[in-house]
Amino acid sequence: MTQSVSSDDPGELDPGRARAKLVEKTSDSHPEMVRAHARQRAVSMIAGPIWVGVSVVVMRLWFRYRIADVRRIRREYQQIRAQSDGPLLVCANHLTLVDSFIIAWALGSGTYWLKNPDELPWNTPESTNFGKTVFARLLLFIAKCIPITRGGAREDVGDVLERVKFLLAKGETALLFPEAGRSRSGRVEERAAAWGVGRIVGSIPGCRVLCVYMRGRNQETWGDFPAKGDTVEVALTAIEPKSDAKGVRRSRDLAQQIVRQLIRMEEDYFDARQ
Amino acid sequence: MEQSEVMERVVKILTPWVKDEAALGKVGMETNILEDLKVNSARLVDVVIAFEDDFDIEIADEDVDLVNTVGDAVNLISGKL
Repeated sequence: MTQSVSSDDPGELDPGRARAKLVEKTSDSHPEMVRAHARQRAVSMIAGPIWVGVSVVVMRLWFRYRIADVRRIRREYQQIRAQSDGPLLVCANHLTLVDSFIIAWALGSGTYWLKNPDELPWNTPESTNFGKTVFARLLLFIAKCIPITRGGAREDVGDVLERVKFLLAKGETALLFPEAGRSRSGRVEERAAAWGVGRIVGSIPGCRVLCVYMRGRNQETWGDFPAKGDTVEVALTAIEPKSDAKGVRRSRDLAQQIVRQLIRMEEDYFDARQ
Repeated sequence: MEQSEVMERVVKILTPWVKDEAALGKVGMETNILEDLKVNSARLVDVVIAFEDDFDIEIADEDVDLVNTVGDAVNLISGKL
């Protein structure tokens, strides 16, 4: 089920040890960030399954959403997980504000997340959209969110990327939208590929990417929420992006491979609808 | 290479990505690439790759975190020439 995109992998001699070294290095260079992460993780281990449960109840009863064949999707997800104990970065297309909730619902039940708390993905929402009030910031804290200001100071963005690399290397899971924001065209856009995603994947030996394509059957384009009563189709594919390039070019190459995979999944979605 | 020459080439490379063309007229070392010139942050990587190609240098991911202003870019590039 995992597809290898190319053959080269310079960092794959001993991925487990390399990741342990990365964790150790980050603990030395960013001790405050590591402590803050440990605090938030401890809270979210308990709160995470609760917010998933509550959000699923709201989505099912108030918005009347359904996920098509959710049991099959969860089986597929567990098969992908079983293939490797290495890090898994979830990368999805992005059309609505509730995409991360839908992904958490699609991949596991509340009980599953309670048993596997480190598999429940961390999110990086745009801080200007979600972090406006103390209450909102509290919600972000317990919902495994690391707010980011897109287009903000490069060092701040770099700090968030460092934290995501750190948590992935530790064996936790993160969800990123490689287009950086909701797709204004309603389709996955290769040009919008955010190189930060490639930078993360390229720096963690053995990191796989779980590409998630999701779309409500009535979702014509981007918006805040799927239409009430909509059924969301979800497809999963795991890949291991690889690149011979170096530096920034390598990161862009890796990010583009992920976005191209999402484009292929989108084509499959629309082909199946015809 | 003189810093002024690096600066000139950096501005030339940035130009196609600049959304606020009026800001180009008063560009200086302190000009913020994203905030003042309104370069799309997702496209910053393309700008950096254009720097690599034009100056025949290699820029690491982490180096990009240090680039906020035109002057940051000029200093980064000058340090690699």
